[in-house]
Amino acid sequence: MRASDINRVLDFVRDAFNEASRLWWRFFDWVAVVEWRQLLLTWFFVLVFFGLAGMDGAGIWYVFISAAVKVLAGGKRKAELMARDATAQANVATLERRLMEARMAALQAQVEPHFLFNTLALIGQLIETDPPQAARVHAHLIDYLRSTLPQMRQRGGATLGKQVELSRAYLAIMQARMKERLQVRFDVPDFLGSAPFPPMMLQTLIENAIKHGLEPKIAGGTVAVRAHVVGADLHVAVCDDGVGIDPHADDGVGLANIRERLQLLYGGDAALDITTPPAGGACATIRLPYKMMEAA
Amino acid sequence: MNPSLHGRPATALIADDEAPMRDLLRARLASVWPDLTIVAEAANGVEAVELGERHRPDIAFLDIRMPGLSGIEAAQRLYARSHIVFATAYDQYALDAFEQGALDYLLKPVSAERLATTCARLKARLSAPAPASASTSALAAPPQDIGRQLAQLTSLLEQRGKPDKPAYLRWIQAQVGANLRMVSTKEILFFQSDEKYTRVQTAGTEYLIRKTLKELLDELDPDEFWRIHRSTLVRVDAIAEVRRDLRGRQMLRVRGHTEELEVSRNHGYLFQQM
Repeated sequence: MRASDINRVLDFVRDAFNEASRLWWRFFDWVAVVEWRQLLLTWFFVLVFFGLAGMDGAGIWYVFISAAVKVLAGGKRKAELMARDATAQANVATLERRLMEARMAALQAQVEPHFLFNTLALIGQLIETDPPQAARVHAHLIDYLRSTLPQMRQRGGATLGKQVELSRAYLAIMQARMKERLQVRFDVPDFLGSAPFPPMMLQTLIENAIKHGLEPKIAGGTVAVRAHVVGADLHVAVCDDGVGIDPHADDGVGLANIRERLQLLYGGDAALDITTPPAGGACATIRLPYKMMEAA
Repeated sequence: MNPSLHGRPATALIADDEAPMRDLLRARLASVWPDLTIVAEAANGVEAVELGERHRPDIAFLDIRMPGLSGIEAAQRLYARSHIVFATAYDQYALDAFEQGALDYLLKPVSAERLATTCARLKARLSAPAPASASTSALAAPPQDIGRQLAQLTSLLEQRGKPDKPAYLRWIQAQVGANLRMVSTKEILFFQSDEKYTRVQTAGTEYLIRKTLKELLDELDPDEFWRIHRSTLVRVDAIAEVRRDLRGRQMLRVRGHTEELEVSRNHGYLFQQM
């Protein structure tokens, strides 16, 4: 025989074996869950049928095997099957709950009270000492709230350009507060402005960079936002040169929410990667399929 | 030394990481209490302690959230010599604690009226004659009282972030090129030991790390990851189902990955409810 024939035979044997084992387990599961009364009924029919066909042996074997399975493994297998059903139902329920939660969290106002109070305090102070600066910070705050509060969020805000604009407003406010402790760098080509990008993700990454990276650092540092196209993907990175990430610190609801929403929106085609460069600090990069325009 | 309004003007330190807030407080103090001399301004907690110890001001105005040391930590080093006044914009926990204790605090942005009340109280305390038996302290409450309250406040504020669980490992560090990739444990489906390395599997990627399974077992949250085999840790939330194969072994499947993981006999009890 040639090698291909041997392979064909092996394939056939494997298929036959798989099929036989599948049928066996189906039979096993059926025996495990079926009522004793019904099982006795099938014994009667099988014995009569094979008896008439002159194959008493087969009927007796059937009775013997099914009785043995029922007695020895039936209870346990039944419990397993019920547990599996329960798990499957629980999985569906969990998935639905996660979907709902992710949507809710994205919809809810993500303005931190701390940020709002501090900014209002700053404006109040600037009104007395530097009114033109007070007006600028005030305008930035309005821009920020307009795109952050769900009630105010306009449609069509889900482009990279809009998200960058919102982030600039936020960073301008933070610069007014942190002064020379916060430097900002944007490296986002104009042509990427129209690319679709989910709302509030860039914002969350920038807030994290400041809150966990730069605010705890006495000297402060730089937040750099960079967007570029790699192959068919759009990469948007937020990097800081702050204190880095404590491996024992919870990653918080912000990052978990971004991952969840990327998963819901793009399946496996998008990801959030966190790295710590050798020079220190932290980089968070969102990768998602690049499109030039929002679908109509 | 008995700081008194009668001998010399009172002195104060202002500590806030945000310059505009220092400017505001200085301006307000100048109009409410013109005699008060601001001897130093600090932009973080470390500086506050340093300047506080050097200048020994009568009063230290401390912002609570500052880099380096928090205002409360700084206060623990300074309260014996200086009267502490905290400042915060929004911090319900701290405010509740202040309301219960005898500590002074200001809400930012500091209003002129509130500051005037606080200053009047400070003046009264500073000019009150020190009890004959007491030390040279100018504080109304005994220092050990203030110290106890600060300690309570510190533990209160520390606990709030992480309620009752010890600090488990929440990020796995994996070398990817020149960078260290931080993989959140929430992304990880399972760990599998692979000779010298441990394989870390997420929905989309596989990483190899040098940490052994034993080390991971000690550092991870036992409610987050279960050991199902000598060489496998699986994320509990990711478990999809457990079934038996032809040889009667329990095989486990996780959401988001096709590989089946064997559950060893020793760990089979994990999946035998009912």
